[in-house]
Amino acid sequence: MAEFYSQVFNGLVLGLLFGVMALGFMLILGVMEVINFSHGALFALGAYFALSLQPYLGYWASLIIAPLLVGVIGLFIEWSAVRRIYGKDPLLGLLMTFGMAMAFEEIIRIVWGKIGYSIAAPKFVAGPIDLGFIFYSKYRLFLAALAFMLLALVWIFLEKTPYGAIIKAGVSDSEMVLALGKNLRRIRTVVFGLGAALAGIAGVIAGPMWSLKPTMGWEVLMPSFVIVVIGGIGSFWGAVIGGLIVGLSKSLSILVWPRMSELAMYFIMAIVLVVRPRGIMGEKSLLEQ
Amino acid sequence: MVRYFRHPMFITFAVFLILPAFIMKLGFMSLAIEVMIWVIFAMGFNILLGYTGLPSFGHGLFFGTGAYMCGLIQQHIIAGTWIPILGSMLFCGMIASIVGLFLAKKRGIYFALLTIALTQMFFFIAFQWDAVTGGENGLMGIERYALTFFGLFSIPIEGILSYYYFVFVILMVSLILLWKIVHSPLGTVLYATKQNEVRAKYLGYNAVLYKWIALVISGIFAGLAGALYAMLQHGAFANPMHWTKSGDVVMMVLIGGGLTNFFGPILGAVIFIALRDIISSITEHWYIFYGLLIVFVIIFLPEGILGYFRVGQTSGREEVLEEV
Repeated sequence: MAEFYSQVFNGLVLGLLFGVMALGFMLILGVMEVINFSHGALFALGAYFALSLQPYLGYWASLIIAPLLVGVIGLFIEWSAVRRIYGKDPLLGLLMTFGMAMAFEEIIRIVWGKIGYSIAAPKFVAGPIDLGFIFYSKYRLFLAALAFMLLALVWIFLEKTPYGAIIKAGVSDSEMVLALGKNLRRIRTVVFGLGAALAGIAGVIAGPMWSLKPTMGWEVLMPSFVIVVIGGIGSFWGAVIGGLIVGLSKSLSILVWPRMSELAMYFIMAIVLVVRPRGIMGEKSLLEQ
Repeated sequence: MVRYFRHPMFITFAVFLILPAFIMKLGFMSLAIEVMIWVIFAMGFNILLGYTGLPSFGHGLFFGTGAYMCGLIQQHIIAGTWIPILGSMLFCGMIASIVGLFLAKKRGIYFALLTIALTQMFFFIAFQWDAVTGGENGLMGIERYALTFFGLFSIPIEGILSYYYFVFVILMVSLILLWKIVHSPLGTVLYATKQNEVRAKYLGYNAVLYKWIALVISGIFAGLAGALYAMLQHGAFANPMHWTKSGDVVMMVLIGGGLTNFFGPILGAVIFIALRDIISSITEHWYIFYGLLIVFVIIFLPEGILGYFRVGQTSGREEVLEEV
């Protein structure tokens, strides 16, 4: 039973982390109609930046600065390349970010080398904690709390600020936002930067849980895709619920059939596609056109 | 008569026909076979991408499945060449028709998203299902059995030169078939669906059905290419199904100009494979060049090489639509 509880916890922790990733991915997808393949690479960059910054800045400062750097990279790639393909064939944006993902991964390999690193968890959350029914890693609980806070912040930003309202409008119909006289160009740049920063911070906080390797971005990129399909495009809660479903399915299937844990989320996706083609929280979106 | 000799199809066949005379001694034969196989794959894929406008990013799924099926039929059903190849095509066509039930209703970015997830799903199945696919090690021991013609006579294709010409003949048949498809009423409807799906619908064409047909056709050709590739490598592996490889065929179509020209994928496959081979022999960091090449092509050559030089049909109408 203890193993079951700890897998449930693992699933929830993973789910919150996936939720943060998927949210950034979905915002970019919604506002720009670009499948951001480089999202996983940005995640990896976040982790590697934290690795290099922590010896100099300490944990808290690098928790802030590493994602900001990734956000700046996001702004740069939007400004230099991605903005050239808005409104064109969706394949172009997908391929372009795919190329960037390849290039970033190779850059990581050149700068930090092929070997894996591990980041130590900060001292105040090192080691396990006795929860009464199980011992559980303090860091994972801390990670879950951070991810939860991030999701709450993004929710407040999207739901309670005028900027958030514009972005949400952009997700459902970006041309209409333009027609209403908003600066769509700037909104898109900001959203790309925001999405990249979310990927970066997910990478920073996931670092101590996973080992750092150049291909680590892959492990979160595919879940982001699947979560968006499961949860539905354009919905905050879709990303969160989808994230939790994927996280839990991954960890719980380890109990039943470990080899298939990678596959569980695809089966759920297939079922969702049959039952609710737009995803659990999905509404009719322009992206289907 | 001269008209036929100047046709790109004829030139392609002529080049591949005499190519071994030049590269046999240099040891590029298997690379040339690989090019021809990718041409078959990319040309079939272009029915879906270029002519129907459906951005699949998961056609490695059919390529990989074709390779596995070829091996599985050889090892469990019949040790031949024709049956495994036809079986692979049939099986891939079946898979395409099943996933097509879900995919054909989608388009654009959502279509792409689903194809990526699907190919990754099949990748994991192939990678984990050791008992059938050999898992991480791949399915080894795929043979190139001699071709038999109704028991009358047989031609061995084990040698690299004879296998080259075997693939060459299949390439010719495939290209002619694809040319016929593209220039048939079916091809016209597919193109109409790409240009304006709603209008095609109002003209009385069942757009979903036609998109499904395009998917099945491209799946069958991908299965054929996969089977030929398995025979070339004497094995089938999960690798081509991974999403990082799914971009390859899309890039081949795009670089050459497949979106605007029937023959684009041929040029694209040649350039892509040549570049990959040259760059990865110079540096181990091929992927950084690959990635930057993609970004470069999309910014500066979105219609590919043939499109840039305005060879073949232009897509003036599309540009107008974009500006609006």
